[in-house]
Amino acid sequence: MPMYGDQGNKLVQHAKRMQNLAHLPPYQTELVRAVTREVRDLDKDVASLLEPFQGSFDPSADQSTACTLLVNHLSMRRNKRCLLAYHRTRTDKLEELVWNGSDVLDLAGQQAGGGANGATAAADSGASSSSLSPQEEDYVRQYGDLLAAYKGQWTDIDLTGSLEPPRDLFIDVRVLKDAGEIQTEYGAINLTKNSQFYVRQGDVERLIAQGYLQKLG
Amino acid sequence: MSYYDIDAILTDAEKIPCTFQLDIPDLGYLDNTPNQPLKAGTKVSLPLWLAEMLVIANTGGPDNKTFVTFDLPRALGNDVVQALKADPRAVPLRDQSAHFYGLATHMMDLSEEQELGSVLRKTFVTRAAEISLHARKVGGVSAKGKGKEEGSNLGIGGAGEEFLRGLDEWERKLFRKAHDGAKSGKEWMESIKKN
Repeated sequence: MPMYGDQGNKLVQHAKRMQNLAHLPPYQTELVRAVTREVRDLDKDVASLLEPFQGSFDPSADQSTACTLLVNHLSMRRNKRCLLAYHRTRTDKLEELVWNGSDVLDLAGQQAGGGANGATAAADSGASSSSLSPQEEDYVRQYGDLLAAYKGQWTDIDLTGSLEPPRDLFIDVRVLKDAGEIQTEYGAINLTKNSQFYVRQGDVERLIAQGYLQKLG
Repeated sequence: MSYYDIDAILTDAEKIPCTFQLDIPDLGYLDNTPNQPLKAGTKVSLPLWLAEMLVIANTGGPDNKTFVTFDLPRALGNDVVQALKADPRAVPLRDQSAHFYGLATHMMDLSEEQELGSVLRKTFVTRAAEISLHARKVGGVSAKGKGKEEGSNLGIGGAGEEFLRGLDEWERKLFRKAHDGAKSGKEWMESIKKN
């Protein structure tokens, strides 16, 4: 029995599954559209139900209409909650990815997995379409800007740096993707794919988080 | 429980048996007959998010009726309650409802069932002890959070696996927390020894 709210429920089930994933699955454009369409249809129904009453509807005089209106109203409210919860779950995830320093927009383009360990990102590049909606891409960009501005207040501490105290000052890394030339205290290094370097951990931490480099050993 | 809580929203999708108290021409679709009016006395399964308000809302008429009346869903029926009284650990709650406790809490808000609360409290306490017992048997190698699907990692027998499969969502969370806690504790102890 297809019923109002069923589509919204599907959306929330997507959100539920998403909670246990490391990456962000594709945005459910079709479902979101279906749910909003349902809300619009319900709103139209309500308007046409109320039309003959000319603004003077008395619920106790017409109980069956009152009940229909209540059911329609509750269905709209339910759909609204499903929509908001779905998007909120996604933005929570996006914020987490931004804080982890993974290049979300880049990741999205590759449909790749792994927020915290972006190292696998290069491994499974697949479909070309983004798993983010255009609005979400915007959100990530602006949230990233906000975070950067916030971090800018403290120049001597990296808020998104690793919380693990490093065991060694220098580490071996392998380059997974060409990252161009970077400047370090000891001069410039050219990071070309498949090469290996012995570098200061602090210099490359962000590149590791973004999946350009892989820590060895 | 927050507005955005995914589990709360899914709990609200659980259905309970309701009976309509008046004829409603436009709601035939709820009984799968979109072109006919919904007759008073029709029994329909409605999701909680809809039923809850319809049960409470007053029709506004002189007789103070509500739009629908409801019965306890089968998950909280007499059979289940009796089985829980006998041995809470022997009932796979998940087969009754994936959100068993959530559903039960809602139903207790709506109905005047006196006994249900104490039966459920005893059920949870008894089962929680059992859950923590299983969760502490950490193999150490099991994948985070997924531990319970891999019985071998937990070193538990078939009976334990059977029990864990019957946990509802809330109990699963409890298991995961207990499991992760025990695991992190163990890891920390080991890292202390190393240094």
